[in-house]
Amino acid sequence: MTDLTFSRTGRPSRIRLSRGGMRGAVLTCVLAAGALASLLTGGRDDVGLAQLAGLFAGEAASPAEQTMRDIRLPRTLAAAGLGINLGVAGLLLQAVTRNPLASPAILGINQGAALGIVLGLTVPALAVVPGWLLASVFGLAAACLTFAIAGLVSGRIDSMRLILGGVAVGAIGFSAVRLGYTLEDDIAREVVRWTVGDIADLRIDAALRLLAFAVPGLGLAYLMAHRLNLMAMGHAASHGLGFDPRATLVQGTVLAALLTGVSISVAGPIAFVGLVAPHIARWLCGADHRRLLPVVVLIGATLTIWADALSKLLPQAEEAPVGIVVAMLGAPWLLVSVLRRSGTAHV
Amino acid sequence: MSDARRPEFPGLRGPVTLALLGALLPVLMFAGLFAGAIPLEIETVVNSLLGRDGPRQDFIVLQSRLPRALLAALAGGALALSGALIQALMRNPLASPKIVGINSGAAFAVLVTAFYIPALPHSLLPVPAALGGLMAGALVWWCAQRGDIDPRQLTLVGLAVGLTLDAGVDALLVANTGPESSAPLIWLTGSLWGRGWTHLASVAPVLLTLAAAALILAFRLDLQALGPRRAAGLGVRIGLERTLALLAAVILASVAVSVVGVLGFVGLMAPHVATRLVGGRHRIMLPTAALFGAVLTVGADTLGRAIRPPLEISAGILTALMGAAFFIWLLIAEDRRILA
Repeated sequence: MTDLTFSRTGRPSRIRLSRGGMRGAVLTCVLAAGALASLLTGGRDDVGLAQLAGLFAGEAASPAEQTMRDIRLPRTLAAAGLGINLGVAGLLLQAVTRNPLASPAILGINQGAALGIVLGLTVPALAVVPGWLLASVFGLAAACLTFAIAGLVSGRIDSMRLILGGVAVGAIGFSAVRLGYTLEDDIAREVVRWTVGDIADLRIDAALRLLAFAVPGLGLAYLMAHRLNLMAMGHAASHGLGFDPRATLVQGTVLAALLTGVSISVAGPIAFVGLVAPHIARWLCGADHRRLLPVVVLIGATLTIWADALSKLLPQAEEAPVGIVVAMLGAPWLLVSVLRRSGTAHV
Repeated sequence: MSDARRPEFPGLRGPVTLALLGALLPVLMFAGLFAGAIPLEIETVVNSLLGRDGPRQDFIVLQSRLPRALLAALAGGALALSGALIQALMRNPLASPKIVGINSGAAFAVLVTAFYIPALPHSLLPVPAALGGLMAGALVWWCAQRGDIDPRQLTLVGLAVGLTLDAGVDALLVANTGPESSAPLIWLTGSLWGRGWTHLASVAPVLLTLAAAALILAFRLDLQALGPRRAAGLGVRIGLERTLALLAAVILASVAVSVVGVLGFVGLMAPHVATRLVGGRHRIMLPTAALFGAVLTVGADTLGRAIRPPLEISAGILTALMGAAFFIWLLIAEDRRILA
C-alpha cells in the first residue's frame, strides 16, 4: 500500500506510506502480535514457535510439536476464521439494513442458529442434517421474522423496531434453547459450555470448515460490494441506478446467515464481533465496501485472536471462553456507540 | 384507547376484573400445590393445609410448595408493578425492568456478593440487589441526561447497559465455576427452585411496603397525567413524586430478582394486559397489573413443574417465551396504530 508521489519534474520525490497504508500495516502488526500471543500460551510451557517446524513431521513429531500442530495452531486458526465470518456477516447486515446497530446477535440470528443446533441434538429426525445447515436455516428464519417485525413486508424498515424486534426474536430463540437443555438432561453440560462461546476444544477440522466458508463468503461479499455501496445511498437511489435493493437485501442476509450459521455450529453463539468489527473498519477506512471488506476481515480476525489469547492469559481457575471475553469488550462498545449516536437523534 | 371510546363514567369493569383476578390467584396457587415430582391427593393436601388428621404430606405441602407459590405471587406482582411504574414514568410502552437493565444490575450485584462476600447471610441478598438495580437505573438515567434522548432511544441505552452487565454476569460465572456452579445458573434463568419460607420472610416486608407505597402514589400519577401545570395546581410535587415512584419501581424489581432470578418479560407484559383489561387509570391499573403479574408467575411456575415431572422448567423460561412473543405482537400493533 505504498504511494509513489511524483513531483512536477516527473521524478519520484519521496516514497511515503499513505494513511490507509499505515493503518493497514499497524492492523496487520496487531493481528500478528495477537496470533503470536495466542500461539505461545497454553497448558504446556515447552511449546514455542520452534515447534512450528514439526508441522509436517507426521508421526515423527515430538509431543511439543504435536501440541502445536494439533491443538494450538488449529485453535488460533479457528479463532481467526470465526472473526472473519462474523465480521463479514455483521458488515453485510449493517449494509443491507442500513442500520449501524445490526449484527447477527442483535437481529436474533445467533439465537436462532443456536436453536437450530439444539434441535439437531434433540430431534432424532434432524440428526442427519449437518449442524451448519440447521444453524444457517434457523438463523435465516430468525432474520426473516425480525425483518417482518421491522416492517419489511410493508416496504420500509423501521430501524428502532428492527433492533427491538431482533432482541425479542433472540429472547424467544434463547429461551427455547434453555427449554431444550432443561428437557434433555444429557445434552445440558455440552450446551451450557457451548452457549458461552468456548473454542478451547476445537481441532483442525473445525478450523478448516470455518475457513472453507470464509473464503467463498468473502468472494461473494466482494462481488456485492458495489451494490452495498449503492444501498448506503438509500433504497430508492439503488433502485434508480439499476439494482433491485430487495435482491441485495435477500442475498446479503442469506450470506450473513450462512457465515453466522457455520460459526455458531462450531463455536457457539459469539456476540459482538459482528457488531464491533464493521464499526472499527469504517472508523479506519471510511464507507467504501470494496475497501471495508478486507479491513473487516483483518479486524474480525484480530478481535477474536486477541480475545482467544486473553482468555488463555487471564489468571483464572478456568479459562474464560472466548465468547465472554468478546462480550466484555463488545457490550461497553455498544453502550458507547448508542450514546454517541443519541446526540444526532437517529439510530 | 381513543377518547371517543372512553365511557362517561368508569363503570364496574375495574373492580370486576380485579375480583376475578383476585379469585384466580388462590385457585392457581392451590393447583400449584399438586404439581411436582411427587403427585398428591386432594385429601392429603387439604389435610396438611388445615392440620387435620389423616394422610398428610406436611413437608412437601407446607415447607416446599406453599412458600414457593406465595413467593411466586409476590415476586411476579412486584415485577409487574415495577414495570407499570416504569412505563408510566418514562412514558414508554416498551420499557420494563428487564429492558432498562435493572434486572441485570441486580443479578450482577447479587452474584458479586454471593461469590466474593460469602459470609453475608442469604437473607440480606436483597440489599445488594437493590443497590445493583439502582446503579443500573442511575446509569441509564445519567446516560439519558446527556443529550436529549427521546423515550425510544432510552430503551436502546437500557438495552446496552443490560447487555454490558450480562457480560459481567457471564464473566463472574466462569471465574467462579465450582461444584455449586449450577445453583446460580438455575437462579439466573428465573426459577423458584429451592425457595422457602426464609426467602419469603426476607423479601416480603420490603415488597409489601413498597407495593403499598406504589398504590398510594398511583393516585398522584393519575393527577400527573393531567399535565405538569394542572397537576402542580392540584398540589402534586412532580419532581419528588416521580423520583419516589422510580425508586420504588427499581427496588421492587431488584428485590424480586434477588430471590427468583431474572424472570423476563413479566414486568413488560403485565401493565399492557392490565391497561387493556381495565384502562389506563393508575389507581385501578396498578393493582390489576400486580395481580396479573402474580397470576402469570404462579402459572408459569406451576406449569414448569407440571409439564414433565420430575423435571422442572424454570418459570423464567416460560415467561420469556410468552413475553417475547407478546413483545413482538406489541411492536407490530404499535406499527398499525401509527399507520392508522
